[in-house]
This record gives sequence, C-alpha cells and structure tokens, in this order.
Amino acid sequence: MNQGRVVVVEDDELLAGIFLRVLRRNGYEAYHALHAASAIDVIDDAQPAVILLDVLLAGTTALTLLHELRSHADLAEIPIVLATNLADQISLDDVQSYGVKRILDKTTMYPDDIITAVRSAML
Amino acid sequence: MNARGDSREDSSLVRDVPAATVAAHELKAPLALIRQLGYELGREDATYAERRELTEQIIRVSEKALRVTSNITRADTLSRTLFELEPVNSIDVARDACRELKPLYELHSRRLTIGRMQKLPPVIANRDLLRRILVNFADNALHYSGAEGVVELQAQLSRSQDVVRLAVRDYGPAMTKRQWSRLVESLHGRQPVHARPQSSGLGIYISDQFAKNMNASIGAIRHRDGASFYVELPVSRQLTLL
Repeated sequence: MNQGRVVVVEDDELLAGIFLRVLRRNGYEAYHALHAASAIDVIDDAQPAVILLDVLLAGTTALTLLHELRSHADLAEIPIVLATNLADQISLDDVQSYGVKRILDKTTMYPDDIITAVRSAML
Repeated sequence: MNARGDSREDSSLVRDVPAATVAAHELKAPLALIRQLGYELGREDATYAERRELTEQIIRVSEKALRVTSNITRADTLSRTLFELEPVNSIDVARDACRELKPLYELHSRRLTIGRMQKLPPVIANRDLLRRILVNFADNALHYSGAEGVVELQAQLSRSQDVVRLAVRDYGPAMTKRQWSRLVESLHGRQPVHARPQSSGLGIYISDQFAKNMNASIGAIRHRDGASFYVELPVSRQLTLL
C-alpha cells in the first residue's frame, strides 16, 4: 500500500540510497535530489507529503532551500524532517517556523527512525 | 591556526574551535554512514549481491575516514620530521592520486580523469605530501562532479615557466558569492579556514600545511560551472630524466 511520497534531499548518494531503500520497503514512493539546486524541481514534480532534508548540502545549505520552499505557495506547507550530523546544534524551536517537524540525528538514528519521523510529520 | 594560517604551534583550525573538534566533525559523516551501512548489511532479507555491495561501500567509506586520520597525524608530525624535497614528475603523482580514488569514485558512479596535460618539467616537492594534497582536493570534489559525473585533474606550466599548477576541476553547483568570499579569505589567511558548506575545511587546512612545507601554495578559482582547487609548485632546475 502506498504510504505517500517522500523526497530525500541528501548529497551523499550512499546514505541517500539507504534512506530510499528504507522508505520504499515501508511502502513509500521515494525520490532523491542530490543538491539543493535540483531539489526544487524534484519537489515540484513529486509534490511529496514529506521532505527528508540533510542540513549541510553541497553547493548551498538547507536553510537556503527552506527559505525558497517557503516562498513557493504550493510547497510552503510540506512538512520537513531534518536528517543531520549537527542535530546537537539545532533546536527544533528555531526551525519550526520553516515547517520542520522533526530532527533526526544521523549519528544515533536507527533506519526505522526515518519511518517514525515521516509518519509523525504527516500527522 | 593563527590569522595567517601558518602556525603549526597553534592547534585550533577554526578560531576558538580546537583542532580535535574540527577533526571530530570531519569524521562524523563517514562514521555515521558506516553505521547505517552496517544496519543495512545486518538485514536478514539482504541478498548476497546487496551484502557484497554494502561491504564494498563500508570498505571505501572506512578508507576515506582513515585518509582523514592519516592526514591529521601527518600534518601533526610535519614540524618534527624531516621529509625529502626532490624533483618530482607531477603528472605521475596526479596519476597516483587518480588511481587511489578510482574505487571511491566508481562507487559513486563518478569518474576522476586526467585532463589534458602538456609535457611538464619536474617540480620540487615531496611526493607523498603532493599526492595527499591532490587526493584531498579530489576527495572534496566528489560531491561536485555535476551531471556528467566527471572531476578532472589538470596540470599546466606558468607563462614564466617557473611554476607548475596542478588543479582539481569540478563541475558541481556553483558556490554563492558569500561562500566563495569566505573560502578565498580563508586561503589568504584572513579568516578561519572554510571550504564548502558541508565541510569543516579541515582538508583545505591540511593541504595548506602540506603545501607550505614544500614552499608551494594552494588556491582556488571559481568558475561559472564549478571550481578548481590547485597547488602551485616551483619547477626544478635540476636536469633530470624523470
């Protein structure tokens, strides 16, 4: 059963591959954007229910992408899950205004945490 | 590092941030990735082909992390050890760097190629340090290889024929003016070292240290479609059959 669409914005292809496999195994239609630059197009095409976003991306940072998403009326409401190695330096309170619902710590998370976070963001 | 970026006594890479913290940050990503790959490998329903692929990925990511640790320890011993400067064939070293990173590039479906290289005179360098600089640059460029998936090693002789420039040219997303300004200021020692957004700049800092110990210098050029990170080395005047 299709659980919904998720776009993974992650510049490490190996990690992105894991995220995509976990999501697909759990019934999600998962798409990948390698850079923030290509993310808007992928998100625009996929119209995902959730975006799983790395913070430190090649080319630009997630914050720039979050700003841009907020400027598109049709994309502004998509819930965001941040997946980052900097989770200990980011407070959810500081990023909630960008639509961030959950923060996953890549250094401590288990693969299934992605599903829990995506489900919770979709509520 | 001090404001000029040339002190080996000061242990901090970024102002007010201890070197150990920067190194820890640099190792976080590969270690976190190895952990996730381990979980995938441990899945009971993983096929034999998937297990082989994941094992290969774990090996390559581990090698990347080990390169970081090896560079940190090498940089730390620079001031205490003697190393040989000798006439070196820079194209050979570029080929060595290319060979070393080939498996990692292939794993990411990327290509690291040797671009057009004219016949060059030997440079005065330490072969090991020069290889490490090129590997650092090419390792960093992996995420910036653009749609074609190609990163190129290039070499050229200066007009004055006294300097050889070895460059790693990538074709990834352009850096913003702000990011570029920070990088250039870092390279000129006016600011703490920063590379691209996802990097602590440790690779560039270490490359800078290696270069300075060979009387060489590093720099970067921003292109419309990517960037070049380069090291410039003095040409050897010694007659050689290299």
